[in-house]
Amino acid sequence: MKVSFPYMGTTVVYKKLLELLGHDVIMPPKPSQRTINLGVKYSPEFACFPLKVIMGSYFEAIEKGAEVIITSGGHGPCRAGFYEQVHQRILKEEGLPAKFMVFNSMFRDFNNFYDNIITLKGKNSWLKVSRSLLLVYNMTKKLDKLEKQVQTIRAYEVKKGETTRAWEKIQDLFDRAYTKKELEGAYAEGKKLLDDIKLIEVPEEKKLRIGIVGEIYVVMESSINMKMEELLGNLGAEVERSQYLSQWITYNAIPSFINKTHETEILEKGGRYLPIQIGGHAKQTIGHIVDYSERGFDGVVHLMPFGCLPELVSQSIVPKITEELGIPVLTLAIDEQMGTANNTTRIEAFIDLIKGKRAKKIS
Amino acid sequence: MKIGIPHSLLYFYYYPLWKTYFETLGFEIITTPPTSKEIVDKGVKNSVPELCVPIKVYIGHVLKLVESEVDFIFVPRFVSIQKGQYFCPKFMGLPEMIRHSFKGIEEKMLMPSIEANDENIATMMNFKIFEEKFGISTKENKLALEKAKRVWISFRAYCREGYSASEASDLAMGKAVEKQLTIESSNNLTIGLVGYVYNIYDPYISLDIFKRLREMGVNVKTFEMLSEAEMNKQLKKLSKNLFWTFSDKLLAAGYSFYENQEIDGLIHVTAFGCGPDSMLGKLLEIDSATYNKPFMTVRVDEHSGENHLQTRIEAFVDMLKRKKMRQKRGA
Repeated sequence: MKVSFPYMGTTVVYKKLLELLGHDVIMPPKPSQRTINLGVKYSPEFACFPLKVIMGSYFEAIEKGAEVIITSGGHGPCRAGFYEQVHQRILKEEGLPAKFMVFNSMFRDFNNFYDNIITLKGKNSWLKVSRSLLLVYNMTKKLDKLEKQVQTIRAYEVKKGETTRAWEKIQDLFDRAYTKKELEGAYAEGKKLLDDIKLIEVPEEKKLRIGIVGEIYVVMESSINMKMEELLGNLGAEVERSQYLSQWITYNAIPSFINKTHETEILEKGGRYLPIQIGGHAKQTIGHIVDYSERGFDGVVHLMPFGCLPELVSQSIVPKITEELGIPVLTLAIDEQMGTANNTTRIEAFIDLIKGKRAKKIS
Repeated sequence: MKIGIPHSLLYFYYYPLWKTYFETLGFEIITTPPTSKEIVDKGVKNSVPELCVPIKVYIGHVLKLVESEVDFIFVPRFVSIQKGQYFCPKFMGLPEMIRHSFKGIEEKMLMPSIEANDENIATMMNFKIFEEKFGISTKENKLALEKAKRVWISFRAYCREGYSASEASDLAMGKAVEKQLTIESSNNLTIGLVGYVYNIYDPYISLDIFKRLREMGVNVKTFEMLSEAEMNKQLKKLSKNLFWTFSDKLLAAGYSFYENQEIDGLIHVTAFGCGPDSMLGKLLEIDSATYNKPFMTVRVDEHSGENHLQTRIEAFVDMLKRKKMRQKRGA
């Protein structure tokens, strides 16, 4: 079975899991101008941006021969839960009837969930499945650890672009690891690559820390958020994201009543401003802004797809948080306009303001 | 004591219920006038630019109420009126958007969370908070709710008879007497109007498309005129329904209009930037070809020029007429 999936973040992880289970994986190309053009052409005009990019990804994956598309479902209230329905209809309309394998909540329709698992499992033993799952989970954790280091040291590298190149190499190393031992090796090698990068000494009080929060897709996928992390890093700021794949997996895999992950803590912090979960990542966004402010970050960049329903609510609340906690927040709506000059200017100005604010405080 | 209710969003669906409830308890109800340029401007100036028009208009109405002498402003948080379904996230976070945006408004706001198993929201759970707030007994509360429920049920009954929601609301509250509905339209055309109550019945947002169509002698059908059974029949056919209750109803209505032989065409009225509509509009658009029935999308925003709308609906109606004539001649 030739399978494919939506492109988001460190895709090597999903690829690995499917490969370990013996499936033929068709990697969707990294979203490019062509992907976006395709997506925009066929998607509803006012659909949110992730839907359009993923639509484009599907077209490209099917071109490359994908027969089955694995994706997540959902039950609202955010639009993302309905993506698969719209995607399927549009693909059918365009005469590309790819089969969809949708993972909805197992608590709603267990049979369907179970069927999907069995299909994916194929002839593998349960032992092999759990081993593969464990390996992939460890891989995600290790990758996230290295990525966090990348996000910190990029701000201080002597040779511009060195860290980004190392990060690409690391992903490639992990791509080739299929056993626990190989994984350890890849991690050690990656770690060494990063440790070898020459850094400028910056005194602690001069360091800038920026958090990135917002809707998961535009936060995680660098090819559509104008490489926000790189941009901030190159301007001399350490970066931390609100979403990492390993956190997302732990949070979603553990039943809520024993869930004591970082994310529950974040949700509590958001509760002051937004008492209920309104879908998407609105409450997390609010919680993370509060969290970053408590941890002494210098500013937050809030990313959202154009017209994102839950993030519009958080955007409306942001001025109040800034007023109360004094943390600068810049909201950027991401859409199919790929010109970078506009947002680069805004980010540069934002960093300048933060630096200015700090200079004022000292004098 | 005066309670202000903004004349926007679900006002068009639940006003009879709210009014009866609060008036039975002895409160005075103040509503804002129908949306005007002034109100829209207020809303637009004081909200995030990307929000959809109905929410901006709502914020405008709330600000208008702040200016008038009311003691409380009623801003309910609609969470769910059907099991497993929700409202658009903007409805669920509506009280937050307002209370965090304007200073000093929070003390004035009444924000019950509305969670019910069906459309009838006059349940104890939703209105319990008022007992403590206003010092009313559970018994009084219960009586008021029952009365509110009766009025609202009669409102829904009038809707199903074919009255528009604003007519039905007047009838249910005894403000108007039943009149002969001119169902026999002059040119024998029926159009299914797919759109949310707060767009269609807001004369400013939809530029009164309902009335315009009727004035052209066209019969108009909307989702609230359909029976529950008909809706459910349509929804069962879907592999997965939309999880926003009203969008779900619109989708069901859309398919029901497609199947109904008496309906000649569909007009989808949607607000600029409406999230749920972007999905449901696309599905209906794709299916227009399957059912071989004309479908048109009218997208409205805060601009108020009406000529484009008049031209478009006239053209649409003319096209339907010709289509019908051709069919009659057997061509």
